[in-house]
Amino acid sequence: MNQTSGRTLVDSRGSSCPGPITDLAIAYRRSKVGDVIELWATDPGVKADVNAWATKTSNQIVSIDETGEKITVIIRITKR
Amino acid sequence: MTETIEIVETSVREVSSGKLSIIMFSGTADKFIPLGVLTQAGAAMGMEVNVFVTGFALLGFTKAHHDLPMPAEFAFMAPDLAKGMEANKVASWDAMLRQARELGAKVYACSMMSGVMGLAKDDFNDLVDNIVGAATFIHQAEGGETLFI
Repeated sequence: MNQTSGRTLVDSRGSSCPGPITDLAIAYRRSKVGDVIELWATDPGVKADVNAWATKTSNQIVSIDETGEKITVIIRITKR
Repeated sequence: MTETIEIVETSVREVSSGKLSIIMFSGTADKFIPLGVLTQAGAAMGMEVNVFVTGFALLGFTKAHHDLPMPAEFAFMAPDLAKGMEANKVASWDAMLRQARELGAKVYACSMMSGVMGLAKDDFNDLVDNIVGAATFIHQAEGGETLFI
Protein backbone atom coordinates (compact mmCIF):
# COMPACT_ATOMS: atom_id res chain seq x y z
CA MET A 1 0.00 0.00 0.00
CA ASN A 2 1.48 3.36 -1.05
CA GLN A 3 0.35 6.62 0.46
CA THR A 4 1.09 9.84 -1.42
CA SER A 5 -0.83 13.02 -0.67
CA GLY A 6 -4.18 11.50 0.16
CA ARG A 7 -4.15 8.85 -2.55
CA THR A 8 -3.88 5.22 -1.53
CA LEU A 9 -3.41 2.27 -3.84
CA VAL A 10 -4.94 -0.98 -2.64
CA ASP A 11 -3.91 -4.01 -4.70
CA SER A 12 -6.40 -6.82 -4.06
CA ARG A 13 -5.79 -8.69 -7.30
CA GLY A 14 -6.10 -12.44 -6.84
CA SER A 15 -8.09 -12.07 -3.64
CA SER A 16 -11.59 -13.59 -3.52
CA CYS A 17 -14.72 -12.08 -1.99
CA PRO A 18 -14.82 -10.66 0.66
CA GLY A 19 -11.06 -9.95 0.46
CA PRO A 20 -11.12 -6.82 -1.76
CA ILE A 21 -13.92 -5.10 0.17
CA THR A 22 -12.07 -5.89 3.40
CA ASP A 23 -8.85 -4.40 2.02
CA LEU A 24 -10.89 -1.34 1.07
CA ALA A 25 -12.41 -1.16 4.57
CA ILE A 26 -8.94 -1.29 6.14
CA ALA A 27 -7.68 1.51 3.86
CA TYR A 28 -10.86 3.47 4.64
CA ARG A 29 -10.14 3.28 8.38
CA ARG A 30 -6.77 4.90 7.78
CA SER A 31 -8.16 7.57 5.44
CA LYS A 32 -9.54 11.04 5.95
CA VAL A 33 -12.22 13.04 4.15
CA GLY A 34 -11.00 14.14 0.73
CA ASP A 35 -8.69 11.16 0.24
CA VAL A 36 -8.90 8.99 -2.84
CA ILE A 37 -8.52 5.22 -2.71
CA GLU A 38 -7.67 3.30 -5.87
CA LEU A 39 -8.64 -0.36 -5.59
CA TRP A 40 -7.33 -3.03 -7.95
CA ALA A 41 -9.18 -6.34 -7.96
CA THR A 42 -9.89 -9.38 -10.09
CA ASP A 43 -12.92 -10.80 -8.24
CA PRO A 44 -15.91 -9.99 -10.51
CA GLY A 45 -18.13 -9.37 -7.46
CA VAL A 46 -16.16 -6.21 -6.70
CA LYS A 47 -18.08 -4.04 -9.17
CA ALA A 48 -21.39 -4.54 -7.34
CA ASP A 49 -19.77 -4.75 -3.91
CA VAL A 50 -17.97 -1.39 -4.04
CA ASN A 51 -21.27 0.30 -4.89
CA ALA A 52 -22.93 -1.41 -1.92
CA TRP A 53 -20.02 -0.45 0.31
CA ALA A 54 -20.07 3.18 -0.84
CA THR A 55 -23.83 3.45 -0.31
CA LYS A 56 -23.56 1.88 3.14
CA THR A 57 -20.65 4.06 4.25
CA SER A 58 -21.77 7.25 2.42
CA ASN A 59 -18.67 7.47 0.23
CA GLN A 60 -18.39 8.09 -3.48
CA ILE A 61 -17.44 5.83 -6.37
CA VAL A 62 -15.69 8.03 -8.96
CA SER A 63 -15.16 5.33 -11.57
CA ILE A 64 -15.06 1.59 -12.21
CA ASP A 65 -12.92 0.42 -15.12
CA GLU A 66 -12.31 -3.07 -16.36
CA THR A 67 -9.27 -3.97 -18.44
CA GLY A 68 -8.98 -7.69 -19.11
CA GLU A 69 -9.59 -9.26 -15.74
CA LYS A 70 -8.28 -6.26 -13.78
CA ILE A 71 -10.95 -4.05 -12.25
CA THR A 72 -9.89 -0.56 -11.15
CA VAL A 73 -12.17 1.36 -8.80
CA ILE A 74 -11.60 4.94 -7.75
CA ILE A 75 -13.27 5.85 -4.46
CA ARG A 76 -13.46 9.32 -2.98
CA ILE A 77 -13.74 9.43 0.80
CA THR A 78 -16.53 11.86 1.61
CA LYS A 79 -17.41 10.56 5.07
CA ARG A 80 -15.35 9.24 7.94
CA MET B 1 -18.37 -25.89 36.07
CA THR B 2 -17.99 -22.37 37.36
CA GLU B 3 -17.32 -19.68 34.81
CA THR B 4 -17.26 -15.97 35.38
CA ILE B 5 -19.35 -14.24 32.76
CA GLU B 6 -18.13 -10.74 32.07
CA ILE B 7 -20.52 -7.97 31.16
CA VAL B 8 -20.45 -7.70 27.39
CA GLU B 9 -19.94 -4.29 25.89
CA THR B 10 -22.57 -3.68 23.28
CA SER B 11 -21.31 -0.82 21.17
CA VAL B 12 -17.63 0.02 21.12
CA ARG B 13 -16.95 -0.20 17.37
CA GLU B 14 -15.10 2.62 15.68
CA VAL B 15 -17.46 2.73 12.72
CA SER B 16 -20.89 1.24 13.21
CA SER B 17 -23.44 1.27 10.47
CA GLY B 18 -26.10 -1.27 11.31
CA LYS B 19 -25.81 -4.58 13.01
CA LEU B 20 -25.50 -8.19 11.86
CA SER B 21 -25.98 -11.07 14.27
CA ILE B 22 -25.21 -14.63 13.25
CA ILE B 23 -26.24 -17.75 15.14
CA MET B 24 -23.76 -20.44 14.10
CA PHE B 25 -25.38 -23.77 14.87
CA SER B 26 -24.34 -26.20 12.13
CA GLY B 27 -21.24 -28.28 12.72
CA THR B 28 -20.53 -29.29 9.13
CA ALA B 29 -17.54 -27.89 7.26
CA ASP B 30 -19.55 -26.37 4.38
CA LYS B 31 -21.53 -24.07 6.68
CA PHE B 32 -18.37 -22.52 8.07
CA ILE B 33 -17.60 -20.94 4.68
CA PRO B 34 -20.62 -18.58 4.69
CA LEU B 35 -19.95 -17.91 8.37
CA GLY B 36 -16.48 -16.62 7.50
CA VAL B 37 -17.60 -14.71 4.40
CA LEU B 38 -20.60 -12.98 6.00
CA THR B 39 -18.81 -12.12 9.22
CA GLN B 40 -15.90 -10.59 7.32
CA ALA B 41 -18.13 -8.84 4.77
CA GLY B 42 -20.36 -7.40 7.50
CA ALA B 43 -17.36 -6.10 9.41
CA ALA B 44 -15.92 -4.62 6.19
CA MET B 45 -19.23 -2.85 5.58
CA GLY B 46 -18.76 -1.10 8.91
CA MET B 47 -21.44 -3.12 10.68
CA GLU B 48 -21.35 -4.31 14.25
CA VAL B 49 -21.12 -8.10 13.87
CA ASN B 50 -21.80 -10.57 16.66
CA VAL B 51 -21.53 -14.34 16.18
CA PHE B 52 -23.20 -16.64 18.68
CA VAL B 53 -21.78 -20.15 18.39
CA THR B 54 -23.86 -23.03 19.65
CA GLY B 55 -24.56 -26.73 19.02
CA PHE B 56 -21.97 -28.81 17.18
CA ALA B 57 -20.52 -25.63 15.65
CA LEU B 58 -18.69 -25.21 18.98
CA LEU B 59 -16.35 -28.01 17.85
CA GLY B 60 -14.86 -25.61 15.28
CA PHE B 61 -13.76 -23.26 18.06
CA THR B 62 -11.93 -25.54 20.48
CA LYS B 63 -8.20 -25.67 21.09
CA ALA B 64 -8.45 -29.41 20.52
CA HIS B 65 -8.71 -29.91 16.75
CA HIS B 66 -11.86 -31.54 15.36
CA ASP B 67 -12.15 -32.47 11.71
CA LEU B 68 -15.45 -30.91 10.72
CA PRO B 69 -17.41 -33.34 8.54
CA MET B 70 -19.10 -32.51 5.25
CA PRO B 71 -22.85 -33.24 5.25
CA ALA B 72 -23.32 -36.79 3.94
CA GLU B 73 -25.26 -35.71 0.84
CA PHE B 74 -22.36 -33.51 -0.33
CA ALA B 75 -19.44 -35.60 0.89
CA PHE B 76 -18.68 -36.61 -2.73
CA MET B 77 -18.14 -32.90 -3.54
CA ALA B 78 -15.60 -32.30 -0.77
CA PRO B 79 -12.42 -32.85 -2.85
CA ASP B 80 -13.70 -30.60 -5.68
CA LEU B 81 -14.70 -27.93 -3.17
CA ALA B 82 -11.26 -27.95 -1.57
CA LYS B 83 -9.60 -27.79 -5.00
CA GLY B 84 -11.85 -24.94 -6.16
CA MET B 85 -11.28 -22.92 -3.02
CA GLU B 86 -7.55 -23.27 -3.36
CA ALA B 87 -7.60 -22.35 -7.07
CA ASN B 88 -9.68 -19.24 -6.27
CA LYS B 89 -7.50 -18.36 -3.27
CA VAL B 90 -10.50 -18.32 -0.96
CA ALA B 91 -9.33 -17.75 2.59
CA SER B 92 -10.09 -20.42 5.18
CA TRP B 93 -13.15 -19.74 7.35
CA ASP B 94 -11.04 -19.19 10.45
CA ALA B 95 -8.74 -16.74 8.64
CA MET B 96 -11.85 -14.82 7.55
CA LEU B 97 -13.15 -14.80 11.12
CA ARG B 98 -9.78 -13.65 12.39
CA GLN B 99 -9.80 -10.77 9.87
CA ALA B 100 -13.38 -9.90 10.86
CA ARG B 101 -12.40 -9.80 14.53
CA GLU B 102 -9.59 -7.38 13.68
CA LEU B 103 -12.29 -5.15 12.20
CA GLY B 104 -14.33 -5.41 15.39
CA ALA B 105 -16.51 -8.52 15.00
CA LYS B 106 -17.14 -10.50 18.19
CA VAL B 107 -17.57 -14.23 18.66
CA TYR B 108 -19.43 -15.69 21.63
CA ALA B 109 -19.87 -19.29 22.70
CA CYS B 110 -23.24 -20.39 24.05
CA SER B 111 -22.94 -21.07 27.76
CA MET B 112 -25.61 -23.77 27.90
CA MET B 113 -24.25 -25.86 25.00
CA SER B 114 -20.67 -25.32 26.19
CA GLY B 115 -21.75 -26.82 29.51
CA VAL B 116 -23.55 -29.72 27.82
CA MET B 117 -20.45 -30.50 25.77
CA GLY B 118 -18.15 -30.13 28.76
CA LEU B 119 -16.34 -27.10 27.32
CA ALA B 120 -15.03 -24.33 29.59
CA LYS B 121 -13.62 -20.93 28.51
CA ASP B 122 -10.15 -22.44 28.57
CA ASP B 123 -11.11 -25.14 26.06
CA PHE B 124 -11.90 -22.56 23.37
CA ASN B 125 -9.32 -21.07 21.03
CA ASP B 126 -8.54 -17.37 20.62
CA LEU B 127 -11.39 -16.80 18.14
CA VAL B 128 -13.86 -16.85 21.03
CA ASP B 129 -14.30 -13.57 22.90
CA ASN B 130 -16.46 -14.87 25.70
CA ILE B 131 -19.03 -17.40 26.86
CA VAL B 132 -22.49 -15.84 27.12
CA GLY B 133 -26.10 -16.89 27.51
CA ALA B 134 -28.85 -16.63 24.90
CA ALA B 135 -30.36 -13.58 26.60
CA THR B 136 -27.12 -11.63 26.09
CA PHE B 137 -27.09 -12.52 22.39
CA ILE B 138 -30.75 -11.61 21.92
CA HIS B 139 -30.11 -8.31 23.65
CA GLN B 140 -27.09 -7.64 21.39
CA ALA B 141 -29.02 -8.64 18.27
CA GLU B 142 -31.97 -6.36 18.99
CA GLY B 143 -32.66 -3.87 16.22
CA GLY B 144 -30.40 -5.54 13.63
CA GLU B 145 -30.44 -8.39 11.13
CA THR B 146 -30.10 -11.93 12.47
CA LEU B 147 -29.00 -14.99 10.48
CA PHE B 148 -29.18 -18.62 11.54
CA ILE B 149 -26.58 -20.86 9.92
